[in-house]
Amino acid sequence: MDVSFRSIALTLCGLTVLLLAGALLSLVTRTTPHDLWASLRSEEIQFAIKLSLLTSLSSTALCVVVAVPTAYVLTHKRFWGRSIINVILQLPLALPPVVAGMALLVLFGATDFGRGLADLGIRFVFTTQGIILAQFFVIVPFMYRIMKTTFQGINPRYEHVAQTLGCTDFEVFRRVTMPMARNGLIAGAIIAWCRALGEFGAALMLAGATRMRTETLPTALYLNMTSGNLPLAVAAATILIGIAFVALIIFERAAGTSRVF
Amino acid sequence: MLQVKNICKELGEFRLEDVSLEIDEGEYVVILGPTGAGKTILLETVAGIHRPDSGSVLLGGRDITRLPPRARGVGMVYQDYTLFPHLSVAKNIRFGVPYRQIPRAKCEARITELVGLLGIEHLLHRYPGTLSGGEKQRVAIARALITEPEVLLLDEPLSALDAETRGKLREELRRLHRHTHTTMVHVTHNLDEAFMLGNKMAIMNEGRIVQAGEPEEVFRRPNSRFVANFLGVNNVFRGFLTPGKGLSSFAINGLNILTTSKVPGDVHACIRPEDILLSLEPIESSARNAFRGSIVEVSNTGTLINVHVDVDGVVFATAITRRSFHDMGLEVGLSVHITFKTVDVHVF
Repeated sequence: MDVSFRSIALTLCGLTVLLLAGALLSLVTRTTPHDLWASLRSEEIQFAIKLSLLTSLSSTALCVVVAVPTAYVLTHKRFWGRSIINVILQLPLALPPVVAGMALLVLFGATDFGRGLADLGIRFVFTTQGIILAQFFVIVPFMYRIMKTTFQGINPRYEHVAQTLGCTDFEVFRRVTMPMARNGLIAGAIIAWCRALGEFGAALMLAGATRMRTETLPTALYLNMTSGNLPLAVAAATILIGIAFVALIIFERAAGTSRVF
Repeated sequence: MLQVKNICKELGEFRLEDVSLEIDEGEYVVILGPTGAGKTILLETVAGIHRPDSGSVLLGGRDITRLPPRARGVGMVYQDYTLFPHLSVAKNIRFGVPYRQIPRAKCEARITELVGLLGIEHLLHRYPGTLSGGEKQRVAIARALITEPEVLLLDEPLSALDAETRGKLREELRRLHRHTHTTMVHVTHNLDEAFMLGNKMAIMNEGRIVQAGEPEEVFRRPNSRFVANFLGVNNVFRGFLTPGKGLSSFAINGLNILTTSKVPGDVHACIRPEDILLSLEPIESSARNAFRGSIVEVSNTGTLINVHVDVDGVVFATAITRRSFHDMGLEVGLSVHITFKTVDVHVF
């Protein structure tokens, strides 16, 4: 790499980092530590923290349960319709979350299927379950993609050998594939969780933004920002930034070692 | 006995075409062939990883064509070791134990025995990532043999190792085979392995087995130009054979060679370089093929020296020791005599 190209690249990199770090720093230093602490202890932010943790952890768990076997089957078995399924599973990745949320709202709010479910007591519109479903819908593609790449990176010969040693398909999955995919699973779950925690658009459409009811951290930020209560908005943002920072460090570690095998 | 009967299989760019092979219990068979010949798919089809499009696989008279790998009684060892990276050596070796009904005491005794035979006692607590290639392959072999497979399939087991380790492990494979009497099928593209390990050899090319038999026999009498070239047999000539009383005459560009073969018409003949005697003066002997020619090329192969002699436009490769080469003072352009027996001319 010649010197002029390297210096241009370094300059661009430096400017970008400065911009990102500057923006985030100006945000978290907007209030005094004392005010921030007070806001964090407010009833509303406490509620948002709890609801965010509950919904994001639920949707991430659901996502792992669904995306891992799906990615496994789609990398290991050849069947008709495999490529179209592959596309559909990743569609939410390219879709604006608001559109996803609207689609879910129509499905569960304005069809016989949705009304039937509601009659059975399974309601998604303007409920906590709705937030979980919206998050799930948006994060499945991330988990699916990471697990697919992880499974594809495992030499099938490991599985062949395990089969000749006596394993059924499920035992191969449990004793060989999953342990070898461990880092991919960790990385995928962290990314999925981060996305779930920050999910706003789809959840807004399906579950609405009702104070102290469907108010997650991003919703709290939005509600307080629009009503002019800046300290509370900043508090919500600060928590999200903090979590993102820690999660990314863990992700980098897991992803960095996932190529060991 | 392992019987592979008329197996056909297409798998992406690889394929097997009507492959049949019979392997007796306790035999050590080496399957040789160039890259892409279909050797690995053949092994994986025997192991049950691929289901053949047609044909069948029988083991001890039992049709196992449709059985999953776990129910077949075959062990598999790959070139790239495939030790489970998240398990210690001991756990790798014991991986298959829970699936086999082996009494505990017998199992422990077998582990101790195998680990001792392969000299890997000191590695048991280590993880695969910290082992050398040779150590990894020993562990992989132990892991496969612990389940007492009826057949052990080895896919280029020595190809990823350095020359010294390869030699050692080759010896160990031979010892293991003598000790356990397990039927072994070993795929390689290395000729030395075929000759040192195999009681039987099969040569594959483009998805087919082109020749099978005892290694010595295949080497002496290749049945095609491909086999001859693959085994490094020089002196493959195309010509016309006219059967005669007793001996036949094989004409190559006007040069007549005598042979015991009776296959008439357009055929190939080969003569192994080691079977051609090179001398400065004509030799009185029972060998009926004697020609005078001149040296056109000299090449050094390490242990032997290849001397190419042109006889009326037909070039014969001969191989002599370094010592005789110097004693005879051979050099390019020198006039020499070559002599070989009629039985050493193999026609196909």
